[in-house]
Amino acid sequence: MIELRDLALAAPDGRLLLQDLALDVPRGGRQVLTGSSGSGKSRLLQVIAGTEQPLRGRVAVGGRLLWPGDGALTLTGCVEVGLAFARGGLLSNLSLGENIALPLRFRGLPAAEVAVRVGAALDRLGLLSVAGLRPHALSASARKHGNLARVLALDPELILLDDPLEGLDSADRAAALEVIREWELDPGKTLVIAQEEPDPFADAPWCCFAMPSTPVLLEVP
Amino acid sequence: MTFLARLGAPVRGFLEFLGDQVHLVLRTLRFGLLLRLGQLPIVGAQIRLQIRFTGLQALALVSGTALLLGAVTLIQAFSQLSGLGAEQYIGVLMVLIILRELGPLLTAVLVIGRSSTAIAAELGAMQLNGEVDALAAHGVNPYQYLLLPRWVGVLVSVFALVVFFDAAALAGGFLVAKLKYGVTFGFFMDSVRQTLSNRDFVATLLKVVLFSGAITFHACHFGLGIRRSQTEIPQAVTRTVVTALVAIFMLDGLIAALFYF
Repeated sequence: MIELRDLALAAPDGRLLLQDLALDVPRGGRQVLTGSSGSGKSRLLQVIAGTEQPLRGRVAVGGRLLWPGDGALTLTGCVEVGLAFARGGLLSNLSLGENIALPLRFRGLPAAEVAVRVGAALDRLGLLSVAGLRPHALSASARKHGNLARVLALDPELILLDDPLEGLDSADRAAALEVIREWELDPGKTLVIAQEEPDPFADAPWCCFAMPSTPVLLEVP
Repeated sequence: MTFLARLGAPVRGFLEFLGDQVHLVLRTLRFGLLLRLGQLPIVGAQIRLQIRFTGLQALALVSGTALLLGAVTLIQAFSQLSGLGAEQYIGVLMVLIILRELGPLLTAVLVIGRSSTAIAAELGAMQLNGEVDALAAHGVNPYQYLLLPRWVGVLVSVFALVVFFDAAALAGGFLVAKLKYGVTFGFFMDSVRQTLSNRDFVATLLKVVLFSGAITFHACHFGLGIRRSQTEIPQAVTRTVVTALVAIFMLDGLIAALFYF
């Protein structure tokens, strides 16, 4: 499903984070990207999603070449991707419900189906009562769950989660973990999670890739 | 060699900027043509929002400015040309100064001040908050959802505002002409009509299309170029205003040379 070749990533300040990375995640694979804060795991996740351009290298998702290429636009209508951001990622001029509905409506799903899917995703993560609020009025954990709910409603084949459990209290963490475990049981879904520690995704079927702990300190032109 | 490099850097930067503008326009057009029927209501709602902000909410400001400008233009003209049969030149003055030049130009300046700044700041904030990335990752093409509605919205708004600007400026001019010389509405409009030609309509339409493109895509270029921190937002807004102003003055000069030189 995901094929990375000769990949080099740079931080926004120009530091080279990793180079010559070759990584394959098969269809239905479970991959965890671990590393300390600032090691570039979120950036790698966004490169896979096609929203960040790598410094060098080749990235293909579902057999389609993202980089070098048009990034996420290449996947539109071909590979369904769900990306849960660690922070942000919700449109500030839309309510939480509208945020979750937008990709479904843009995909052309009937309004009734959109309403059912959005309602179910919000209900599953305990967000029904705040569905009409805009992101700035939500708590940090509700925004995080909102990102997860959008992926849940989309029901994509490639799921990319950036620190999905970070900063959640035990109840919210359990709810998020339950959703992820459910995806884990679905062989049609490919999952990639970026988080500092591999736990609770350290055991099989999860494969772990540790980002280089000390970023390669080279100035990028 | 250093001198040549210093000389070449801004030229290269300008050419890169131009290339990026062309790239944005072509991609927006291309993805606009690829819109599916079911996506039209979503994009249409965004266009309506843009028209409401850029056009409707600026209507009073543009009309008021134009009314005063039309009146002041004729007051100044009459103060200089009194005794030389100034009333005979009312139509020429109004068409040459207001309808041909100041109408589209000042409307564009007001839209840059109100809307292109807002577009640049909004897109910059969206970029920093990961909203643009979220759209792209989830199959909502940012060219279709963000750029196209802003372009169409600004285009429709600038066109409507130019029409209102011209009408209000003519009204202001007529008020002065009536109070000063007792000119009738029929005489005033005949005088304007005789000077106005089809070429003026075509030139104004061309200005509307080019100005709205410049306003939108300068704002999109600088807004979407923000990647790191919020301190970049005011810088992007300033750059948008300066470059968009330069662009519309250059385009205005180009069209004037093309149509009237």
